[in-house]
Amino acid sequence: MAIQVGKPAPEFEAQAYVNGEIRKVKLSDYRGKFVLLYFYPGDFTFV
Amino acid sequence: MNCEVLAISVDSPYTHKVWQETELSKMVPGGLPYPMLSDPAGTIGRLYGVYDEDTGVDVRGRFLIDPEGNLQAYEVLAPAIGRNVGEMIRQVKACKHVLATGEATPAGWEEGKKALRPEPGLSGRVCEIWNPEMAF
Repeated sequence: MAIQVGKPAPEFEAQAYVNGEIRKVKLSDYRGKFVLLYFYPGDFTFV
Repeated sequence: MNCEVLAISVDSPYTHKVWQETELSKMVPGGLPYPMLSDPAGTIGRLYGVYDEDTGVDVRGRFLIDPEGNLQAYEVLAPAIGRNVGEMIRQVKACKHVLATGEATPAGWEEGKKALRPEPGLSGRVCEIWNPEMAF
């Protein structure tokens, strides 16, 4: 795994569903805030 | 808490929309208030080491990133094992405390509990100010 605590989290950009609309979201949009990024195996399961 | 939540799976934004409308909105009035990201090719999952090539999904990984963009904590669970939301919130609070004060938060730390100030004199003397019962 290339990731390491204390080191920069890998930057990414993705299409996202937010409040009824679809838009691009980048990790760097959230600089200045804590981010809790959680992956889950799939919609219609538990997260 | 100044903490933004981002959910991400290999599903398309349209699948996220249908799931929000048909099921999630029944559990959370108005649906989830945070973005649901789409990682259709597993590109982001690979960057974070959670993409499973065999099943083609991102497994249950969770990453705490600080305001400067540095990774502070992560946890990866097998798909069938659910997470502990209270523990995630505790880690955000602990991380904030560490960054704001320069102190360290020992096992079981919660808001209001004793934190430790790292200094050479602490070496070998942690037992004088902290005991294992404080971990619970």
